[in-house]
Amino acid sequence: MSKTFSRRRVLKGAAIGAGFAFFGPFRHISYAQGKKPIKLGLTCDASGQYGDSGQDDLRGIVMAIDEFNAKGGVLGRKVIYVTQDTETTPATGSRVAERFITREECGFLIGALSSGVANAVSQVAQKYGCIYLNSNSSSPTEAGKDCHRTKFVWDGNGTNFSKATVKNAVSSLGKNWLLLTNDYVWGINTSKATRAEIESSGGKVIDELMVPQNTRDFTSYMLKIQQAKPDVVAAAIGGDDIKALRQQVAQFKLENKPAWINNQQDWPDVWGQGAASLFGVFGTTWYHKLKLPGVDDFVRRYQARWKDAPIPVPGNVSYNGYMCTRELLSAIGRAGSTNNIAVIKQLEQLKVSAADRMQHYGAYMNPSTHHLQQTIYMARRNDKPVDNTDLFEIVSWTKPEDALDAREDDMACKLETYESTPTYEL
Amino acid sequence: MGFVSDLLPHLVNGVSLGLLFALIALGFMLILGVMEVINLAHGSLFALGAYLALTLLASKPGPVAANFAWFTALPLGTRYALALVVAPLLVGFFGMVIELCLRRTYGKDPLYGLLFTFGAALVIEELIRVVWGTRDYVLPLPPAISGSLVVEGLIYGKYRFFAAGFALTMIALLWLFIERTPYGSIIKAGAHDSEIVRALGINLSRLRLFVFALGAGLAGIAGIVMAPIWGIRPHVGVDAVVPAFLIIVLGGVGSFWGAVLASVLVGLAVGLTGAYASEWSLLSMYLLLIAVVTFRARGLFGKKSVLEA
Repeated sequence: MSKTFSRRRVLKGAAIGAGFAFFGPFRHISYAQGKKPIKLGLTCDASGQYGDSGQDDLRGIVMAIDEFNAKGGVLGRKVIYVTQDTETTPATGSRVAERFITREECGFLIGALSSGVANAVSQVAQKYGCIYLNSNSSSPTEAGKDCHRTKFVWDGNGTNFSKATVKNAVSSLGKNWLLLTNDYVWGINTSKATRAEIESSGGKVIDELMVPQNTRDFTSYMLKIQQAKPDVVAAAIGGDDIKALRQQVAQFKLENKPAWINNQQDWPDVWGQGAASLFGVFGTTWYHKLKLPGVDDFVRRYQARWKDAPIPVPGNVSYNGYMCTRELLSAIGRAGSTNNIAVIKQLEQLKVSAADRMQHYGAYMNPSTHHLQQTIYMARRNDKPVDNTDLFEIVSWTKPEDALDAREDDMACKLETYESTPTYEL
Repeated sequence: MGFVSDLLPHLVNGVSLGLLFALIALGFMLILGVMEVINLAHGSLFALGAYLALTLLASKPGPVAANFAWFTALPLGTRYALALVVAPLLVGFFGMVIELCLRRTYGKDPLYGLLFTFGAALVIEELIRVVWGTRDYVLPLPPAISGSLVVEGLIYGKYRFFAAGFALTMIALLWLFIERTPYGSIIKAGAHDSEIVRALGINLSRLRLFVFALGAGLAGIAGIVMAPIWGIRPHVGVDAVVPAFLIIVLGGVGSFWGAVLASVLVGLAVGLTGAYASEWSLLSMYLLLIAVVTFRARGLFGKKSVLEA
């Protein structure tokens, strides 16, 4: 039988196809005709120390964008994005931010893991008045001395986590502490906050060991720790460094003596190495097995969106990426325009209920620092997991007010005025 | 605690770290010394070795478990020993493929070889991401070499001593192979004067293929040995190629014992600064390189250039 494609046949097929597509069982998303899309620039690391976490951040951000587009976008405009590897390098972060704003005409920037990169991106963003969401970098300086009118910080910072742990730990674990500090802006400032909490709680810092970024062998540090004999080691180590440290501490069997407090453990840093090398007490802002409304549904949506993700469940990093993007797009909707000053004012007034945050307490944006104050969780290894993703046991949750980062003078945030911030509307 | 007893653990740690650095640098040194090719794919081959060993040792269902049930039924220690042989052989095969492609660059500007191996490194790293994904893995270890031991009141990782001993054995075996076997003599002759070697009827192409495979296999072995310390992730090779390159320059290009001595010096520098001036620990190896190269441009044991005569 010969099959020929006549013009009539092709037209009929096309008409049936078009009719099926339009009236078929699909959702139709209509964006206001002729309206320019809202373009976001996603400054996420894909390589370097925070490459894995940066891509986890990206998955959360993209998921929020997809959900808004599925509901018709924002202000009737589709939300589109561009992303480029910021390489966990501040210089690359600056270059990417400059390109996104000046060439790609992005109205908003989102994404950060490394505080060094976040600081670099935010300086460029402030120069152009471009709103920048620091989704996941948590140096106290980000909403302290390096704050900007255009920057909003969404992760709990080193001070928040220290406040949630140190006081109790000094009385329950011992007074002599040793600080293990990643030698860059997040580590240094987090340890500084921890030191202040230790000393104000009656404890004493007997030594501080600086760990250069990209350290892979921690044997000399572990020998030094044993020689110093602290009661507690407070570690502010992140990215690939903490993965190597955890593996080696587990090999040395040093996880119980002394006690370890890891300021914050990002989910991508934990995943893969499994529970065996998870030790001590550590902080987080979210966990996928919190018994709270909305959590299970969020996990299901994430798994449906990212079927082949290297990590099968969302963690604190993708959660932060999702939450900040959702709040930005909602703020644009409430502002009724993309005017940066109008959106900034919306974000400064932000209050999110506990239910919407999927946390134990509501959160609010501190208008004078642009830092989201939220529930801080402390966790440890789960010795009775219900499945292979159930790595954490949440041991406590602290109200935002109790973990509040009360600024020291030298950390004080001084936001630029609205008038000195360039204004734009895209 | 006295100064000596305080210092001694860090000296031991520095030497053991140096031996591990030497293991990482051996394959790089061999290829550079014999073929005058800076193999920037060394790090990726290092990572590939770790991933292949992981596949052989994985307890979960996978291609090995599905097709070689007898292998997965073996004790972990036996499988680990076999992985130390099989995975480097497979990496050596990859090395052969690279060398076959690299041949077109011989006799041309060395930059072509450099760029080619850089490209090969990117291809291998992406291949790893495609096959094994981007997540981190931990290499399972036999109980005999995992866990800790206490010496003079300090806890050490047992595996660290095993790895250092293994590195020492590999250094000795490679030295014996190069210095005490006819094959080693041919390799050295090929490095010294390839034209004469060819004139003597030795197949130079086959020699280069073998040397590259051996260098790649050594990178694979280093990847397996370092995996329980550094972890396994697609970009772990970057952590290997930088110290390897530094050690070869510090020791003097083409010098076996120069590379070994440089490795121990780098290990001591990193280990001791890690204990007493920790913020300088990574920088110390670069400072050491600057200090040596300032006074001796060809490295510790590098041959004198004709230009210096």
